[in-house]
Parts: sequence; structure tokens; C-alpha cells
Amino acid sequence: MLSYFIRSVAFRHLRYSVGQSLLTIGVVGISVLLIIYLRTIIGGTQNRITQNTTGAIPHITVEPPERTPVGAWQLTNLGIDPDTLYVGEVVNLPKAREVIEDWRLWLPSLDAVDPGVATVSPVVTGQAFMNRGSRRQSVRVTGVLPERHNGIVEIEKNLDAGRFIGMVSGDVVLGQKLAKDFGLKLRDKVRLVGPEGLTLNFSVAGIYTTGFGQVDDGQVFVTLRDGQSLLELGGSISSFGLKLTDLYDAENVARRMAPSLPFKVQSWVVQNPNLFRTLDAQGQTRDLILIMTTIASGFGIGSILVMVVTSKYREIGILKAMGATPGEIQSIFVLEGLLLAFVGCLVGVPLGVLLLKGLAAIRSVGPDGRVDAPFLIEIDPMLLLGASLVAMATGVVASYFPARRAGKVDPMQVIRGS
Amino acid sequence: MAHPVVELDRVGKIYYNGDVETPVLFDISFAIVPGEFVAIVGGSGSGKTTLLNLMGLLDRPTAGVIRVENQEVSQLDELKRARARRDRLGFIFQFHYLLPEFTVLENALMPCRMRGREFEKSQEPRMRELLKAVGLEDKLKVRPPQLSGGQQQRVAVVRSLANEPAVVFADEPTGNLDSKSGRLVFDLMKRLSRESGTAFVMVTHDDNFALEADRVIRIRDGRLVGASVGAPSGAIDAAIAR
Repeated sequence: MLSYFIRSVAFRHLRYSVGQSLLTIGVVGISVLLIIYLRTIIGGTQNRITQNTTGAIPHITVEPPERTPVGAWQLTNLGIDPDTLYVGEVVNLPKAREVIEDWRLWLPSLDAVDPGVATVSPVVTGQAFMNRGSRRQSVRVTGVLPERHNGIVEIEKNLDAGRFIGMVSGDVVLGQKLAKDFGLKLRDKVRLVGPEGLTLNFSVAGIYTTGFGQVDDGQVFVTLRDGQSLLELGGSISSFGLKLTDLYDAENVARRMAPSLPFKVQSWVVQNPNLFRTLDAQGQTRDLILIMTTIASGFGIGSILVMVVTSKYREIGILKAMGATPGEIQSIFVLEGLLLAFVGCLVGVPLGVLLLKGLAAIRSVGPDGRVDAPFLIEIDPMLLLGASLVAMATGVVASYFPARRAGKVDPMQVIRGS
Repeated sequence: MAHPVVELDRVGKIYYNGDVETPVLFDISFAIVPGEFVAIVGGSGSGKTTLLNLMGLLDRPTAGVIRVENQEVSQLDELKRARARRDRLGFIFQFHYLLPEFTVLENALMPCRMRGREFEKSQEPRMRELLKAVGLEDKLKVRPPQLSGGQQQRVAVVRSLANEPAVVFADEPTGNLDSKSGRLVFDLMKRLSRESGTAFVMVTHDDNFALEADRVIRIRDGRLVGASVGAPSGAIDAAIAR
């Protein structure tokens, strides 16, 4: 399609105008670098914030349905007489008493409810007091099946001592801070007092530090059965926690699941609307910067090609007089735009990768004393390809208008010397 | 009788600018035969360049018919006219307009390059010979800005013959040169016309050059006012202005 004539003229123009070409390549290179840098850094930050928020919570929570109390007189199938005045009181059940009783029946169907679901964990939760000696503190007791719940919060990996997955009845696993406050070590005894006053003795089986404040401080894990006993829930559970393969798909999965379940299904997105709004605004700001950068690079290519077309006006006229078609002339300049953008990518992509690798190697000490990378960087090959394609498309679009102008040069005007 | 390479039959041209009509050429008829060297002369604004543009398929007549090598070309679309110019016509302009990014040899071969790499390669030995014949054999790899004005115009003359055209149109090719260089270029065109058998149509203001042409076509106020035989070369025949 692009003839030898078109290719050779385009290449020569670029090679002969080294200064202009280098300037354009620089503009494109910087814009590609910016696209890669901004998307990776802001994407990484967003991932980190999201992971910090969702790391300790289920992506989807399946809870007992919200029951709206109704008066007996509102139940039409009771044969209510419309002419009779009924008097009564509507009383809301305490939230803690809303439970899922037949959870064992629902577990297999939840496991298979959606291909996006990675883990399903039945959970009982409730407030309790932890007593040791004279020390007493309110804690949130979470009764779990450890193998399943480790898929929701990675306790096992973050253990400082002891075990989590191998936890048995009578074991309690708690965060380092709580352990420190109570002066607890492995196998130390501790007493938990349930909301109804039931007291059970536990032995410390594991101590962890996950980095998630709400898990490390004020929460203790016991087995599901111990949790049910302490909170006096019988065989019921409070909720199911679900972890997904893609946390950003949570709202879609929740919407897909909800109609087939008699429960309240909520994604983390709905439970954290402010975070989601913040991330969304951040993403939009990033996209705006990227669009502006792309447009700026487009203007860079366009303006330089306008200069080239203007300076080559006579040569273009003579080529047309000698038989070059408007399409061929136009193709020469579009090809120049594309080549400039392509070489710009060849410069911008490695520079972007180099910059990100440099940033990824940085380590700093966080406020919690942990040495960590301040930038969460994952270089995505698709992003590199995408940034290059965007730059090249910009090159073609930006060069189209000067190219069209070149294609319209009237050779007769050139011949007259005007 | 040789077939005319270019034939004009009652050709007219009117320029339109909104509602304003500006007639430039009226009822022009003549023919040019192979190998003929024709000078078109006339005062400023007489319509010489318009006539050359019409014959060179750079513009379309508003009346009459133009044939190139017996083919009616007056109303061809832009693409077909461009192809016809590329394949069958050569051009020399007052300003040489060589491409500064290409060497002398590449510039001379540019019309061939438009027809593809293979065609360009096939024509290269001939163009080298032609450049040698015009005294530029040591300048083949040089870029145009390093040449004098006369040398550049010589390259433009050689370039006009690159695609072995039926006819070369030259619009005041010596107009921008000093008299010595102008004479060199004119002699060169005559010699190449004679040697290659290519017809040349030259618009000129210089009566001395016009007198040395095989035939002089005079234009006044857009009308053909006469054709005269200059120095006969034997190529002229009955296809003179009708």
C-alpha cells in the first residue's frame, strides 16, 4: 500500500530534518513515558489502598435478609376482618439475633454460585469481653472455619507465632497488639465472656500481625463451633464472607448472585462508598491528565508536521506536477507522523520501564516500622502496548490534517512561484 | 506524417471566481509532433503559462479537446491526469525545485521512483549517462544545495527526461539564470530533444531562444496570433497550427 516512493520521501524528510524529528520524538517519548508512569503509579496506589481496605474484609457479604416487621393485621391470609380495629406494636428484632440457620445447606451452593467466587467462609461475629487477671477489654469475637477463613484474611501467612489453620476447639488466635496489651504468649490462658454472660476458657494458639488495624487490634478468632457457643447462636451463623478472584468485579458478582438467594448480598463497594468515590475521582483525574498529555503530544506532532509541510510547499508542488497523486502526498506525511510516533514509543517505553524499575527498587521504613516499597509497581505489558498504540494513533490523527493540506497543494501555484 | 504527441482542438479556458468570469484562452488549435522544439512566446498575461498548464494536464480546459498521443485527456479526473503526467510527460520550471534531501542522481530519477523501485533501477544507467552528458558526472552523490543555479537547472532538465516522456514542457526554464547559464541550459534542452527525439514545448520571454526553436507559437490576449518556423530541424511537418 505504501509505495517505495512514499516510504523513501517520508524517511528522507525525517532524516534530513534531524532537529525537528528529534524534537517530535522527544515529545512523543515523554507522553508515552507519562502514560506508563501515571497509570502504573496511580494504579499501584489505588491497588494498595483497595487491598488495604479489602484485605481484611470479605469482597461480598451474605447476611440474613432484612426483615421488616409487619402487624398481624397486615397479613391478609389470616382472614382479617376489614371492619375490625386491631391494636398492636411493631417490634424490630435485635440485629444480633438475625442469623442464618441452615448455613450447611447453603454452603455448597454458595461455593458454586459464581465462577468469580474464590472462597466462602461461614462466620459468627459478636462482641465479648476478654479477661485475664485484672485486665478486661471488649473484643470482637469471630468464629470461623480456619481453612476457609484464611482465604478471606491471610492470618496463617502473617503469624508471628503458633497456628491458625490447625486451630481446634478451645484455641484463640489474636493480634500482636492485643497479645502485648494482655501480656499473652502462646498457650497462655484467657477467658472470653459472651454477650449473654456465658464464659469460656481459651488457650492462645496463634499470634499474628496482618497490618490491618481492625484485625490486629480488638479482634480474636475462635473456631466456628466455639464462636456459636460463646455467642449462644446454636447451630446458626451470622453471615457468609466471600472472597473473589477479581475484587473490582464484586458489585457485578453480587448483583448476579442476589436474585437466586434469600439473603442480603452486599459487595465491599457498597459497604465502602466513600473509598470507591475517592478511587473513582482519582482514576478520573489520572485519565484527564493522560488525555491532556496525549492531546499535547498530538499537537506537538501536528505543529511540527505543519511546519514541515509549509517548508516543503514547493517540493510538494513539483512532485505533484511530476505525477504524484494527492493520496501519495498525503500518505507521505501521515507516514512521517506514524514514524515519529513509533520512534517516540521506542524511546518512551524503555525510559518508562526504567523509571518504574528504579522506583520499584526503593525501600523505606513505614510508620509501623516495617521496611516496605513505597510504590506498588507492577509493569503491565498490555499497558506498554496500549500506550504505544495510543501514541501511534495520535501520530496518525495529528498528521492527518497537515497531510491533507499537503495533498491539496496546487502545483500551478508553485509553478507560478506564488 | 508523424502522429502529433500533443494536439489542441479549439481549446479555451475561462477562470471563474464566484460570478466573475475571466476568459484567458480562446479557440486555440495546433499540434506538436515528436522531436519538435516549440517556443511559446507572448507578453505578460497573454496566457502562455495557462496554455502550458493545459497541455501539461495540470489544468482542464473549459472548451475544446486536448489529446496526448492520440488519447483524449481534457476531462480526465485528477488521479488519471496525475498518472498521465507521471508516465508520459516531463516538466522543467523556472525554479528547479529539486528535493534537498535527495542526491543529484536520486532527484533525476524521482519520476521513475514514483513508478516503483524496479523501474527506477532499470532507468538508472540511462540517467547516469544523461547526467554525465550534461557535465554532472562528478556530482551524482551531491545534494542540490551544493550545486550552482545552472547546475541545478541542468539536473531538472535531465529529470524531465527520466520517464522517457512523449513531450517535455518547460516554463521559462532560463528565466532565473544568468545569460551564460541560460544559454547552457537552452542548448542542453535542444541537444537532448534532438538526441532523444522528445518534443519540447518551452514558454520563454527571450526572443533569441525563441528564434532558435523549430517553431514559434505566438499568443496575444489569449489568442493564437501566428506560428512561424524557426531554425528547421526537419521534424516539422504538416501538423503545424491549423
